[in-house]
Amino acid sequence: MTEKERAILWLAACTRTNGEERKQLLEAAGSPELLFDEFEKFSKKVLKQGKNGLYISDKASREREVNALLDRLDRKGRFAVTCESRDYPALLTQLSDPPPVLYGEGNRELLNRRKFCIVGSRLTPPWAEKTGKMIAEEISRHFVVVTGLAEGGDSAAVHGAIGSGNLICVLPNGLDECYPASQLSLKRAVREKGLLLSEFPFGEKVHKGSFHLRNRILAGLSEGVLVISAGVHSGTLITVSHALDCGREIFAFPYSIGVKQGEGCNAMLKSGANFVTEAEDILSMYGFCADKKREVSLSDEERRILDVLSKSGELHAAVIAERAGVPVYEAASTLSALEVKGLIAKAGGNRYSAL
Amino acid sequence: MVSKVICYAIRGLDGVPVEVETDVNKGIPQYEMVGLPDTAVKESKERVRSALKNSGLLFPVNKITINFAPADIKKEGASFDLAVAISLLKASEQLVERDLSGIVFLGELALGGQLRPVSGLLPILISAKGHGYRKFIIPAANAKEAAFLGDAEIYPANTLKEVVQHLLGEVTIAPLQTEEFIASCTAGAKKTAADLKYVKGQPIARRALEIAVAGGHNVLMVGPPGTGKTMLARCLPTIMPDLSFEEALEITKIHSVAGMLGEDGIVSVRPFRTPHHTATTVSMCGGGNKAVHPGEISLAHGGVLFLDELPEYNRSTLEALRQPLEDGKISVSRAGGTYTYPARFMLCASMNPCPCGNYGSAERDCTCTASEIRRYRKKVSGPLLDRIDLQVEVDNISYDELTSSAEGESSESVKERVNAARNVQRSRFEDCGINTNAEMSERELSTFCPLSSECDVILRVAFESMNLSARARSRIVKVARTIADLDGCDEILPKHVYEAVSYRIYDKMD
Repeated sequence: MTEKERAILWLAACTRTNGEERKQLLEAAGSPELLFDEFEKFSKKVLKQGKNGLYISDKASREREVNALLDRLDRKGRFAVTCESRDYPALLTQLSDPPPVLYGEGNRELLNRRKFCIVGSRLTPPWAEKTGKMIAEEISRHFVVVTGLAEGGDSAAVHGAIGSGNLICVLPNGLDECYPASQLSLKRAVREKGLLLSEFPFGEKVHKGSFHLRNRILAGLSEGVLVISAGVHSGTLITVSHALDCGREIFAFPYSIGVKQGEGCNAMLKSGANFVTEAEDILSMYGFCADKKREVSLSDEERRILDVLSKSGELHAAVIAERAGVPVYEAASTLSALEVKGLIAKAGGNRYSAL
Repeated sequence: MVSKVICYAIRGLDGVPVEVETDVNKGIPQYEMVGLPDTAVKESKERVRSALKNSGLLFPVNKITINFAPADIKKEGASFDLAVAISLLKASEQLVERDLSGIVFLGELALGGQLRPVSGLLPILISAKGHGYRKFIIPAANAKEAAFLGDAEIYPANTLKEVVQHLLGEVTIAPLQTEEFIASCTAGAKKTAADLKYVKGQPIARRALEIAVAGGHNVLMVGPPGTGKTMLARCLPTIMPDLSFEEALEITKIHSVAGMLGEDGIVSVRPFRTPHHTATTVSMCGGGNKAVHPGEISLAHGGVLFLDELPEYNRSTLEALRQPLEDGKISVSRAGGTYTYPARFMLCASMNPCPCGNYGSAERDCTCTASEIRRYRKKVSGPLLDRIDLQVEVDNISYDELTSSAEGESSESVKERVNAARNVQRSRFEDCGINTNAEMSERELSTFCPLSSECDVILRVAFESMNLSARARSRIVKVARTIADLDGCDEILPKHVYEAVSYRIYDKMD
């Protein structure tokens, strides 16, 4: 780690300065190294009285603080990326307030690859989860998928991308915390195969504003954002507005009129987001060619039922059976076969929809 | 003079012979009872005294000692009254030269001398017959229950006086005619007014119930409130195979011990028990601080235990069901002894999909968060869910469907198919000591349910694509076996496996 990086790390992690103060300090000193060497001098000038007193220390103790922090990171198998590091994601600097330090755990190499963000609200209908998962899987062959760790849409993206390992999860809390707690096993899996990122120091718990801050990183890291599901007031919309600020492409699933989980998506489409029904829609925007859809062999009965289902949206098993002209229990068996083959999704209440 | 009369006490579902010995001596008038009688037995003193007086018989004014042998078993209940009275009469030489050996006296006395019915009569008669007794004098009110015993002289009496006159040869009580057992599911259907033909819609749930009954599987119905889950469950007994006499006798024994026998005298309809979700573990499994009573699961033996709103039940109560679900019996241990009651029942449970009840509903929005739903469903433990082979969603039916007069398939025709499938299973498991597919262990599973490589691949893919838990595999194979039986197929075909997979909706929860 260079002196510069150490200086930034110390400033961000070991002092209680905010973004504005850090900026002023760096301006006053001219370079991070200089600030690190003679912090007392600059802090007296820049920082308010009272706050100022907190940081009176000599250079040796500052060195000790940084070393202790790096030691701690090392012991836990984590690392810190500062805005002066070589592998600091370039796209992040386009944010108005890029995080000075990102803590990471997992595969560090993913930081410098092309990234694409897939997010969704916690209330995501089953069909959208399944489609989102499939799209995430295809996207992850060309991009590193960036997402959160929440249930619903985020989880769908994680499940889709984790197989390839091209996955970054950005957390709204310190790396040693897990929110929601039920996602702990998923978090472990991401650590093993992909990369966990967070701008928050260890032990920092989720608070009101942390999702807002996290969502800006999601948007900042990625070349584009796919929204699987978003209600009118979904937090996903924050990610989108940050992405728009940075000039990223927005993609969204279309929803039926009146479906609450998708009202936000439809609003985005109305105001010009890209319409997505398959991975091809996204990949073609970036000049990639989607892989050929793998051919699934279907029996006559499966094809008949799939036809019935494709012609209309969500249908009850009994109605499908009636339209296909087979007994209900045979239809149930065929529907189950189609579900196993990944062509349809169960919508709950014995209803199904084609994917 | 010392007299000896035979009576029976009940321990669990078995009768234990008790000798009532009475000695009447000269001396200061005194009335003593020994041999571990409980309060109800001790109180028989006063009942016997009044009953004798009011029947025109003499209560000896002497020193009376009554002993219950064997002395180490606790004697409970009022069924010893008649034996005490007869023994007293014999000892006070009011029944001279009558040979009372070989006659079993059972009955509670009213102060006026009338005989009152006792609970647990049938199990006592069955045990006593096994011990070699052939003559019984019982309360007339128990006659219906006793009539099914057969091969015994049973005299139903209304009063103590009648019994004495019968013993003296002054009046003859006609012995009971043995009754033929007729399983009456139709009679039961009338009583509960349940029949699948009145169930509107619900094709998937109906099919699941049919499979469940055919293979003896347990079933969980998931659906919004007010969609007819209880109605469907009530139809279960109407599509179950008729009771055989042996089964009916066993069920009757349990109900008799619990004192819950109806007017018919024998249970001819499969029981349908619906304990409320406030039920305690003891009421569910059996127990009690004095007499050990059979619990709901034993009362449901041979029938259906329906647990409405499964997550609302006490967690420990539900966990207590796990072992009986495997073994088909429950051992209740108390200070007074260990009692084993049969408990081979079919578990049918119902629950809402989420706290608000609208999850998966097309019409209404679910307002629950994912963690709320998970917490709600976690109330039912994995090991318990593991024992429920079929999980099916019940549809939210529309008003039009509800008011339509079209009737579905009747219970009777479903029952025919069930019977056919059960016959297939009976011949398959002839040498295995089990009756249904659900009871198969791993060994039988590998013998009777070989999967073609095609089916094996399907299962493998299903596991990956649907995140099924590993423990679900044998459950799916068992259900597939039953579906094949209903289909009349010797071999398990892919479509059977697929259908079985579709009944595992809850494995995908976590």
